[in-house]
Amino acid sequence: MSSELNDSDLLHFAANRIEVGILAVDRKMRIVVWNRFLEAHSGRSASEVVGRSLFDVFPEVPRPWLERKVRSVTVLKNFSFTSWRQRPYLFKFRHHRPITGGIDWMRQDCTFLPVMGGDGEVIAVCITILDATETCLYQTRLDAALAVIAEQSVRDALTGVYNRRKLAEQLATEIGRAARYRRSLSLLMLDIDHFKKVNDSLGHLAGDEVIRHVATVASKGLRESDCFGRYGGEEFVAILPEVDAAGATVVAERMRSAVAEAPAEFEGRSIAVTISVGVAEVGPEPRTAESLLGEADEALYLSKKKGRNRVSLRDSARDAHRG
Amino acid sequence: MNPEFLDADQKDALQEISNIAMGTAASGLAKVLESFVRLSVPRISIVETSRVAERLSTTLGQHSEVSAVRQAFYNQMEGEVIVVFGEEGCADLADLLDYEADGPEALKQELLLDVSNILVGACMNGIAQQLQSQVSYSPPEILCSAVPLDRLFAGHRPTCEQALLIEIDFSLEARSFSCNMLTFFAPESFGTLRTSLARFLESL
Repeated sequence: MSSELNDSDLLHFAANRIEVGILAVDRKMRIVVWNRFLEAHSGRSASEVVGRSLFDVFPEVPRPWLERKVRSVTVLKNFSFTSWRQRPYLFKFRHHRPITGGIDWMRQDCTFLPVMGGDGEVIAVCITILDATETCLYQTRLDAALAVIAEQSVRDALTGVYNRRKLAEQLATEIGRAARYRRSLSLLMLDIDHFKKVNDSLGHLAGDEVIRHVATVASKGLRESDCFGRYGGEEFVAILPEVDAAGATVVAERMRSAVAEAPAEFEGRSIAVTISVGVAEVGPEPRTAESLLGEADEALYLSKKKGRNRVSLRDSARDAHRG
Repeated sequence: MNPEFLDADQKDALQEISNIAMGTAASGLAKVLESFVRLSVPRISIVETSRVAERLSTTLGQHSEVSAVRQAFYNQMEGEVIVVFGEEGCADLADLLDYEADGPEALKQELLLDVSNILVGACMNGIAQQLQSQVSYSPPEILCSAVPLDRLFAGHRPTCEQALLIEIDFSLEARSFSCNMLTFFAPESFGTLRTSLARFLESL
């Protein structure tokens, strides 16, 4: 008889030995059940903690939060969950990656289950704790990889500034925003003067260095909300939200003089560089990205025609055509 | 769109059962929020799963951005519940539950998970109980956070073509908070659902 297996003994055995934390608290938050997983990870034996208030034994557990959680389970007679994603852990347990984990405590997924007494009232709340450390590590790695991909997909490989795809996306967003809230928006188009000469006389590597140099110098001093990117070849675009034509001209002039005053360095020699800039502003009427870019390009063309290393505005560009 | 696989009586019964279950869900939520909860009459239909987001824009179109929680149920009935929250309401809810409205994102998410869990638990337990059926639950998870409505299911492909959908709107009296609970029963459950409803009708 004594050697026969009894299913409730077996369940008890399994619940005690399973790689899941199982505890129960009564309505006064006194610990009723504390399985072996919890003993092993907390260093506290069941005989030591059973009968005592959970908050006395583990003062680090967030009390108001846990009390609210348990009360909701008791009142509603409904299960409840927590995930490591929102609340990393309930107990400060060590995890199985003391060397390679890179995170402080074991990540935990918890389930709260109401335990009903004979009268249908909740007499205890059973809490199961799953070690989610591995899941968390994989998710963190995946998130980091996705962030790198997302960042790379909007960056220009040569210069590190935004690429044409990002510029197009940002311009569409900003044009929409400017129209919705009736805000100013300006666009600069920059082109490196006589770039072909640099390429032809000093080689492509020098040309690359000049492009990189101009990207660095021209984008310096822009605001967080501005978007600066390489539009193609030796051409750059800056999107300036909340800036009117006059303000944009000041920004453009600052870029122009910064580039003119700081020559590029290549293999020990200094290469003088200048840029021409075209400025366009979104007026009160609705605009498309194409027409705005076209206008900035027109103004840029005017800067080139007037002798390069200068800034031109859309209106004067139009006047020039009239003239 | 009429759920033709249920006859008129069965559809009425399911509507009534949902109504009762939702009443329990609403009173549960009211207890936790200490605020009166209003709910719409459950709308029952068979939907093309690929067109759910499009369909939602008619009921949720007023929200520019939404957050949603997903939770699965399984055992004798099987499906997924998606609770959709308008962004405006989230801040209001945080205020009601004494969370800081501009607190960390994780705290807001926890709040949405808790509210969804209360609704899903009360409602599905209510339906299962009346149909004498067993049901278990997966933990709730954030499906999306502050995205335009048409991005609700972005990155998720439907598993099946059709599902039975029970749609209910919850709102709080004198508050801007509202949410929509979408309970999808998978085709695998249609048979069980029909049998359970027939048994339920006989027992009346």
